[in-house]
Amino acid sequence: MEIITDALQAGQKSLSEYDSKQVLAAYDIPVARERLVRTGEDLLEAAQEIGYPLVLKGCDSQIAHKTEKGLIRVDIRNEQEAQTAFEHIRKEVNPETGAVLVQEMVKGTRELVVGLTRDPQFGPCVMFGLGGIFTEILRDVSFRVAPLEMRDALEMMGEIKGHKILDAVRGMPAADRDALAHMLINVGKIGLEHEVVKEIDINPVILHQGRPLAVDALIVLEAG
Amino acid sequence: MDAFFNPSSIAVFGVAEDPRNLAQNIVLHCRKMGFRGGIYPVGRRAGTVHGEKIITDPETLPRGIDLAVILVPARVVADTLDICGRKGILHAVISTGGFREFEAVHNQAETRLISVAERYGIRFIGPNCIGIINPGSGLCTPFNPLRPDRFKKGPIGLIIQSGGVTTQSGYHFSDEHVGFSKIISVGNKLNLDETDFIRYLRTDPETEQIHLYLESIENGREFMRGVKETPKPMVIFKSNTTDISAEIAHSHTAALANNDRIVSGAFRQWGVVRAKSIHDMTVAAKALRLPPLKGNRLAVISLSGGFSVILGDACQKNGFTCPPLPRSLMDRIEGFRRGRVIRMSNPMDFGDIHDIDPLVFTLEQCLSLQDIDGVVLSFIYDPQMSRMIGGETGGPEEILRFMRKLCRVYHKPVALSLLTERRFIEKFKALEIFPLFNDPEESVRALALSREHYRKNPPAP
Repeated sequence: MEIITDALQAGQKSLSEYDSKQVLAAYDIPVARERLVRTGEDLLEAAQEIGYPLVLKGCDSQIAHKTEKGLIRVDIRNEQEAQTAFEHIRKEVNPETGAVLVQEMVKGTRELVVGLTRDPQFGPCVMFGLGGIFTEILRDVSFRVAPLEMRDALEMMGEIKGHKILDAVRGMPAADRDALAHMLINVGKIGLEHEVVKEIDINPVILHQGRPLAVDALIVLEAG
Repeated sequence: MDAFFNPSSIAVFGVAEDPRNLAQNIVLHCRKMGFRGGIYPVGRRAGTVHGEKIITDPETLPRGIDLAVILVPARVVADTLDICGRKGILHAVISTGGFREFEAVHNQAETRLISVAERYGIRFIGPNCIGIINPGSGLCTPFNPLRPDRFKKGPIGLIIQSGGVTTQSGYHFSDEHVGFSKIISVGNKLNLDETDFIRYLRTDPETEQIHLYLESIENGREFMRGVKETPKPMVIFKSNTTDISAEIAHSHTAALANNDRIVSGAFRQWGVVRAKSIHDMTVAAKALRLPPLKGNRLAVISLSGGFSVILGDACQKNGFTCPPLPRSLMDRIEGFRRGRVIRMSNPMDFGDIHDIDPLVFTLEQCLSLQDIDGVVLSFIYDPQMSRMIGGETGGPEEILRFMRKLCRVYHKPVALSLLTERRFIEKFKALEIFPLFNDPEESVRALALSREHYRKNPPAP
């Protein structure tokens, strides 16, 4: 895959958020609508295309922990807000390698995590669990060894303690478990087909009207 | 592979007359377990051990020896294996320690050992192991003092990484009246590993279940293939699962991926039963001798109200449901009650029913219900029982034979425990007619363990 080989050649240890999601999209994983912009002109065009409210993020393969560094602005509702946020973030990112990511603000209160890691004994393993800030706090996750079958993917959803979050709760529709399962299966595929992909985090995967959407993603590469 | 388990004759290297010599135990254990093949002790000094003359010049060993058991210092193991190669002995148990477990890098003794084995095409178990115990052929290669007569023969093929755990499991399984077809202590797995032995046990007609104790799985994917090919139930106690991940994780996923989480996911994926301890392995072994558990719905019968509550909790904790039983059946059961003070439900409290007939009736009715997959029975036993409750089913043998018959007729498991003194529980177990669990909660755990196998390996309808 070109994105991956280019990144390796450039000596990157990981893919940027935008590139990570491009890889996911190539594996039929639904991702949030977004565009990478470098100028004020591009910004307004992207904003119009995607539609408010928006999220603006600093996007650079060198940046981790965007929230802590103030590089995420959410719920941007008009051009003026967009421009202010853009100016602020642009100052913080490296003009050579970085840009600003303009993203739809995905509505949904249920956040999940889907990931991949390479176990020294079992090879690529897929993770599913509660996402967002709960990933680290509750550590409510389950694993399977890739390749996954449909049944494995469905079982790992049922295995987390908080599995009821996937049901129809508090007026929210039930999660589309088949779509989630395909996401898990395809993440496993990425791991099997690309030896250099060391780790993947898709966090959060937001349930938007029950359908899972990759909102933030990180692909870590094995520096050779 | 068969040469490892049923050799026509064996050579034991490292034997001396000195009573502190450990290799002579190998000769003793084989004789005690009834090994009928030739045993050739080899050592540096002449003498006799357990009636066998020590051979000081290995060149005089006859041709046609199938297996060598080697317990000589690490630095001369490769030379000893070279002698084996020259004498046409192509299978070896290398018991000696002091290889990679002692000195991990640039271990010369290990490198030489591997190259000698490759030159002759020798397959070996170990090093750093106690080898094979086969109650069928009487082969018993451990050098540590043990009592081979205490190891029961039975349907379990046991593969274990550590020598100490091998011996202790042998005793503990036997105490629980769970016997062995083969025991294999694999040690450092330099040449043959657990996957090779899983493949052997898969086709071994004496083995019905394969149990493993593992500290590490070197090649998880190859191991997985071995597991997937095996229709026999596999039970694994995997230790060394605490988080010692030294590598820096760049993602949440890698940070959360400890060995325990990955192993439990992988085992569920393949239908491997994951035991938590040596004892838990014996619980699984007994459970897997019962008819398959085809679902999640249990009927629970206890002869004590208290234990029916405890059992209700245990079922829920283990993810079982106790569905309500048909009203018509409940009415009939309630009709048997003396007090008629408690309404019957599931779990069923038989505390005030003192005849055997209602219990037999209820057991058979529950087992024949379409929406019940298995029965948990916490029975009561007292030597005076037949006088108390009447009927023909009062004695231990009668009770166990009856349970066995029920399971055979209805093709559903009955997980049995007894409310009685420890010594009576031991007496029931020793009869080896039908699996008995040590307490009511263990009987529920047993069904949960058996479910792990049948969930992925559904029995024929």
